[in-house]
Amino acid sequence: MVVVRRRWFETPWEFRESALFTAVALCIGFVIEYATSGSDIALLRLPGNAIALSLFAVLVLSIGLGFRNTPAVKWFGGIPLGLSLIVAIAVLSLIGGILPQEAVISGSLPARLGIHKIFSSWPFALIILLFLANLGLSLSWKLIPFKVQNLQFILFHAGFWIALSCGIFGSSDLQRFVVPVEEGKANNVGYTMDSETPQQLPFSVFLHDFSLEEYSPQLFLYDPHSDKLLMDKSQATIDVRKGTTASWKGVEVLVIEYMPSALPGKDGIPYLADHSKGIPFAKVRISTGSTQREAWISTGSPTLRPDAAQLGNLYLIMVPGAPKSFRSAVTVQDNQGHAVIANLEVNKPVNFMDWKLYQMGYDEKAGRWSKLSLIEVIRDPWLPAVYLGFFMIMAGNILFFWNGIKRQEVAS
Amino acid sequence: MNIDFNTAATLAIACWATGSLLGLFARRAPALKLPGMVLSLAGSMVMAGFIAFYWALLDRPPLRTLGETRLWYAALIPLVGFLVEYRWKIGWLKYYCMALAGFFLGINMLHPEVFDKTLMPALQSPWFIPHVVVYLVGYVLLAASSITALHNVYLQLRSKKNETGESVSHYLALLGFVLLSFGLIFGALWAKEAWGHYWTWDPKETWAFLSWLAYLGYLHAYRYKIDRSKLQWYLALSFIVLLVCWFGVNYLPSAQNSVHTYTQS
Ligand code: HEM
Repeated sequence: MVVVRRRWFETPWEFRESALFTAVALCIGFVIEYATSGSDIALLRLPGNAIALSLFAVLVLSIGLGFRNTPAVKWFGGIPLGLSLIVAIAVLSLIGGILPQEAVISGSLPARLGIHKIFSSWPFALIILLFLANLGLSLSWKLIPFKVQNLQFILFHAGFWIALSCGIFGSSDLQRFVVPVEEGKANNVGYTMDSETPQQLPFSVFLHDFSLEEYSPQLFLYDPHSDKLLMDKSQATIDVRKGTTASWKGVEVLVIEYMPSALPGKDGIPYLADHSKGIPFAKVRISTGSTQREAWISTGSPTLRPDAAQLGNLYLIMVPGAPKSFRSAVTVQDNQGHAVIANLEVNKPVNFMDWKLYQMGYDEKAGRWSKLSLIEVIRDPWLPAVYLGFFMIMAGNILFFWNGIKRQEVAS
Repeated sequence: MNIDFNTAATLAIACWATGSLLGLFARRAPALKLPGMVLSLAGSMVMAGFIAFYWALLDRPPLRTLGETRLWYAALIPLVGFLVEYRWKIGWLKYYCMALAGFFLGINMLHPEVFDKTLMPALQSPWFIPHVVVYLVGYVLLAASSITALHNVYLQLRSKKNETGESVSHYLALLGFVLLSFGLIFGALWAKEAWGHYWTWDPKETWAFLSWLAYLGYLHAYRYKIDRSKLQWYLALSFIVLLVCWFGVNYLPSAQNSVHTYTQS
């Protein structure tokens, strides 16, 4: 059988040329990264990046529309190159998805090649730029002349183009700081995650109150020798409530009394106390074979020793429940007199001017008693553009789903 | 708790197994077809009932741990098999689907879950259910697509012509891709609310992106009229990327500082 194969670089170009081109681009990217010793790419800030991105978009669109029949341009906006670039992005993402992305000793070969910060490296930037050009060209041909049947294509590809380009070009304008605030105090200084340099913010955050709610405490059998918590037979975590039972080999435990918030009393019997001071106490009946006894156990707090019940070499302990929710009551204020009183909670950020404030953390050692709240403040002027892209992709998705279902009818 | 799960799982597996047997015998004795279908369907109903019961018991949707999500796959995968039979009159897919469902339940029986009611604050969000459910259904469709593609490869090796099979694997992949795209974007919108930024190249996010890219590549290759029978190999293997994303990520070196590894069971 004689197979007539297209020779290298014979037009129209296809996968081989695309793959070669992409491989060369990757190599150039790594060479630049190596030559610049893995230092960060300097990105333009607003309005520079917006101007650069608009120029790039205009350039791609006019090349696409002006040279739509030139073979080289057709190839540059075609699926073979698109697929090769998708593979390149996948390979770079694979590196980033397997190797930890974190600071490494500078000067080593991996550091100079940027594989520990692959998503801000030169090869990644270069491939993304080519990808945007490729996607932009193919888009220009479907945009003009406009046809309704191209709508799905346009929503997908333009949406992705907008989300990707604005996400990347706009990343230099993203500001995020952590603001630590103590109860009864205000702070207007933020810190970035990786540098200690404080940053003056255009507003201050005053913390009225930090509060944390926990799930019910849990019963465990603790083995001090192996430093392990032994699970109950049923493999369930045991919420302490009145009437809760638990069993380990040869040990049966029944909770006969439970006080969610109490303080230790003089005669060893705890008394009910306010939630802000008290800790959970439980009276348990422990039965081992023929013997039976009762004891009070508690979770303890930063100021109170926990009470455990000894069982031979083991201890029956009560562990505070995991945090269920935590919130900060704050007042946010700028020097022009704008002020907002708000409750910050995880998943419930609050807007202030063009900033968004998040409940981030607290003093975990102090847990429920933390007087410190960590608040993250973020400003991302490009967010609306990225979201526009997301919503276009979702709209394209709905059309695609709809057409997919419809086409199935034809196929069957 | 344990006992209840084992009973439900055993019952479901028994339903699927006898349903499958009856279905196979029905080729000779057509009267067995209906009872076979009813029993197979009953297996999924048992799992659906168990999920409802478990949800009520936990006071939260059972979508947090890997073991919990396997319950949903076990209930849903056979349904895709039944739908494909109903839609395209392809009967064999459901057997693979039921076997896969039984396999998932088997994993859960060997590794009993820690029964834990807590849901950390970051997961307490209106996005939790749509995000996870969209991904679940997407994975289920793509699993079915991969099984179909694998079967197509097998038929090709035996030089059998099989156009319907190829269009089934394609449409399942297409619908799966739509759901992956929604899952990815819902995830990004949720991340903005919970963690402050919509995309941070966290290992879990990176792998979700990679799985999405794999199917994006497939769709474009398909569009470019690359030999469709060769693409069956690709579809069959793409699911491996999804599997890594689903539970492999926890074991990769990059996962040390992921904020999303709480799904570990
Ligand atoms: C690398 C750049 C890309 C190029 C050059 C490209 C090009 C194309 C072309 C030429 C088509 C066929 C359209 C038609 O025949 O009407 C297509 C289809 C499609 N593209 Fe892209 N595309 C690219 C990236 C993307 C991205 C990033 C997405 C997702 C957001 C996407 C989603 C789709 C979908 C869903 C289809 C429809 C597939 C089908 O109908 O089976 N593409 N693309």
